[in-house]
Amino acid sequence: MDEGDKAAGPPAWLAAALEIEPFDVRPILADGEDPFSRLMDKVADIGDGGALVVDAPFNPTPLRRTLAKQGFSSYGRKLAAAHWRIYFHQDGGADWEQGAEVTVGLEGAASWREEDGLHIDVRKLAPPGPMVAILRLIEGLNPAETVVVHHERMPQFLIPELAERGWRIDRVVEEFANVQLWLEHG
Amino acid sequence: MFAGAFLTGAADRLLPPSVPYRFFVTALVLHAVAWGLLLVGADEVVGFQGGLGMVLAALHLVTLGVLAMTAIGAAFQLLPVATGRQLGPLWACRLTWWLLATGTAVLAYGMATATTAALHGGATLVVAGLMVALVLLAGTLAGVKTLPGVVRHAWVALGALVLLATLGLLLAVDFSTGWLPDHQAAAIAHAVLGGYGFMGNLALGFSYVLVPMFVLGGAVPDAVGKRTAALAALALVVGVVAILEGAGPVVALAGLVGLVAVAEHLRALAASIRSRMKKRLETFFRLLIPAWAVLPASLLAGIALALGAPSERLAPLWGLLLVFGWLLTFVTGILQRIMPFLASMHSGITGGKPALLSKLAAGWPLALHAALHGLALLALAVGILTDTVWPVRIGAACGLAGALALIAFAVELARRYRAHRQANPPL
Repeated sequence: MDEGDKAAGPPAWLAAALEIEPFDVRPILADGEDPFSRLMDKVADIGDGGALVVDAPFNPTPLRRTLAKQGFSSYGRKLAAAHWRIYFHQDGGADWEQGAEVTVGLEGAASWREEDGLHIDVRKLAPPGPMVAILRLIEGLNPAETVVVHHERMPQFLIPELAERGWRIDRVVEEFANVQLWLEHG
Repeated sequence: MFAGAFLTGAADRLLPPSVPYRFFVTALVLHAVAWGLLLVGADEVVGFQGGLGMVLAALHLVTLGVLAMTAIGAAFQLLPVATGRQLGPLWACRLTWWLLATGTAVLAYGMATATTAALHGGATLVVAGLMVALVLLAGTLAGVKTLPGVVRHAWVALGALVLLATLGLLLAVDFSTGWLPDHQAAAIAHAVLGGYGFMGNLALGFSYVLVPMFVLGGAVPDAVGKRTAALAALALVVGVVAILEGAGPVVALAGLVGLVAVAEHLRALAASIRSRMKKRLETFFRLLIPAWAVLPASLLAGIALALGAPSERLAPLWGLLLVFGWLLTFVTGILQRIMPFLASMHSGITGGKPALLSKLAAGWPLALHAALHGLALLALAVGILTDTVWPVRIGAACGLAGALALIAFAVELARRYRAHRQANPPL
């Protein structure tokens, strides 16, 4: 079953974008390269009303945020484990992630719910934005929740602050440009 | 995890605790020794205009032994974590400490006793240590694309360090050869490069990361950091050249540019602090806030000197404001926050239950240190302004007692950390 931004239903422009061949960044990331510049080359060729489809191993929130500033709305679907498909549409970017399950906090971090817990993506935020966004999220949570953080690096500075609030890093998975941390209370 | 994913090696970027803490412990010990020397040489403080003796030795124990020692230890640990780049081999970090610690002790002995061999040998060891640190830090900073404000201030600091070390060596040799055309101008330029250039820029740059992080406030905009770094660099270059050329009004102009940079810096930090998540400011702010107030005061005193104000009282007062009032107050404030912070970080990274910051830091030694440090500064200022030795003696005694309180804090921190590790062994 498709997951992702399903709560809001697909936007009207999605029908046209479905015809476009996806640009799969997963092999690029697997080779340890940053696909950002190649993505930007593709974006440069897209005019008003145009679209781009990207396959990624995670919900690429920083990219969605960056392209929203360049006028792209986006719609994401989780197709399988470690496989997200994001549709971008050049229309002014007014409705990026609006109406979807994704919430954007004060620091600009996106959070959404998946089966394994409440996810928060703090990549590309300026320090101490990631730390503040994570702490702000957990301070309002039920201690039984699991929080999954998507970070650019292992946030060592966060460890003392988590401990002060009774939270800890349960496990870590480090991938290129996506260090995932599972935070638990107790 | 998808195929081909690789570890980013983040754990490697956290140095073994013995590396940063050897710098911090040395800084705490030399801090006490510096105040002790000042107590012994109190009658030299009033009207001090430079020259070998106890005051110069105490001054260098503070600048090299406390300020540079703490800054380098903290930079070795914090910069790689903040920038995500490797620092360099551990042996080079340890070599930096050996050279800097030994060199500072030998140099201070040479200055206190006017022993030429110790003066030259100590200066050479210190410069060698600083250059190893410079290579390590420059290697980490090269290619960093994030944190532009921090990185640019750090580059200005490293540039100042090269000039500062060169002038320091020349000055050490000049005590026995007298070949420098104007020893005093070179000494003032050396002090400006050290106080505002190297340490000042490290303090400004690191504050952009540390202060918002400690208060959980908003990030300082990159544009502010870029602007303050550019202004600081401009003020430094113009100021140092003008000092060496004896152009007082130009030095004052450079001081004004420095004031603008400081105003911009403090405004940005104030905005971050106002936006903080933490309701109460932590206790180390009782040192940071006065330090921030003294920084512009030191620049104003320097500007007055550059414009020809009588130097008999103002010159030692400027030194007091710059080294003890601004930098030592700021650095001891940061030191008492990052020591337990790093201890907590290290306790959590090895898989054991992290030690709580609030449980690691003992409150009473810090309150005692802050009170005694404040009294020491006030008494020294009174002694300098009234040409009276006894307030200087009282001030140095208070400073020494405050330094011992800070050592007591560190000893208690180590005891609590060990107790936590025994109760919660690493997994």
